[in-house]
Amino acid sequence: MGEPARYLYAVTRGLAPAVLDGVCGQAGERLEMLGVLDLEAVVSTVDLDEFGEDALHENLEHLDWIERTARAHDAVVQACAAAAPTAPMRLATVCLDDQSVRLRLEEWYDELAAALDRVAGREEWSVKVFAHPAPTTAVMEPAEPALAGGAAYLRRKKAATEERRAAEARSLRAVEAVDRELRGISVAARHLRAQDPRLSGHAGTMLLNAAYLVEAGDARRFTELVAELVRTHPGVSIGCDGPWPPYSFATLDRS
Amino acid sequence: MTLATGEQAYADIALVDLLDRLLGTGVVIAGDVVISLAGVDLVQIRLNALITSVRREMAGG
Repeated sequence: MGEPARYLYAVTRGLAPAVLDGVCGQAGERLEMLGVLDLEAVVSTVDLDEFGEDALHENLEHLDWIERTARAHDAVVQACAAAAPTAPMRLATVCLDDQSVRLRLEEWYDELAAALDRVAGREEWSVKVFAHPAPTTAVMEPAEPALAGGAAYLRRKKAATEERRAAEARSLRAVEAVDRELRGISVAARHLRAQDPRLSGHAGTMLLNAAYLVEAGDARRFTELVAELVRTHPGVSIGCDGPWPPYSFATLDRS
Repeated sequence: MTLATGEQAYADIALVDLLDRLLGTGVVIAGDVVISLAGVDLVQIRLNALITSVRREMAGG
């Protein structure tokens, strides 16, 4: 065993301790709350042999460690966000002791309070838009070999290129329309980095990876609008999931 | 389209979507333990880790 430290999952306001009953932290450790003014830091003890700088450098290379750690972190954040305004911390935010955690909450109090005001009563929804996978082109294998002269081949190739460009332009217009509609019933929106097709599990190019902050009472309207957009924009694939804790919107602004 | 609404659906959330949020957005308060990766973008590292893993699975399968 190495030295103990404190892993910080989230900062909440008005979280009832009972909410954390039955939820475990990293490595199954017991969760605790540290109060600072009207805020609470949700923490558990971790071992610096696992969460110290050198250990993290090593562990972040291992997918199974990342997944285990991320899911444990998310489980705590979900439990908090379901019960109280919650500002989730980034993965692996580790302080050496309780005093250090409290100092950070004091230092960032104004920004944390503003972030909690922003996300209170709201939830995050994820919407992704994909281009349909490119059709296997027939250009290279003419159906009528006898007529496949050089000029005819080039004509077909040019036509295919133009059609592809037109399809891309249509897809981009669809993305803009979808984003505009969803922003219309959201409090805020944020575009995340598009995911690599090898990770997204979708063969088509990801055109939009967006997060929307929605009033909890508008969630149904939001998903109904997504369903409508799926019908009205058949030229792209639209996926939606949530509600997420407000990961993308509990940002700290310090000017 | 998938509309995940229940806990069960959330449990199936893709790791890549989770990491988009746990590493890419949200509150960043520096702890005492600094994730110092010598200027290398952490998000890039995790993507490389994932892609490497996907390739390994494909090669293994």
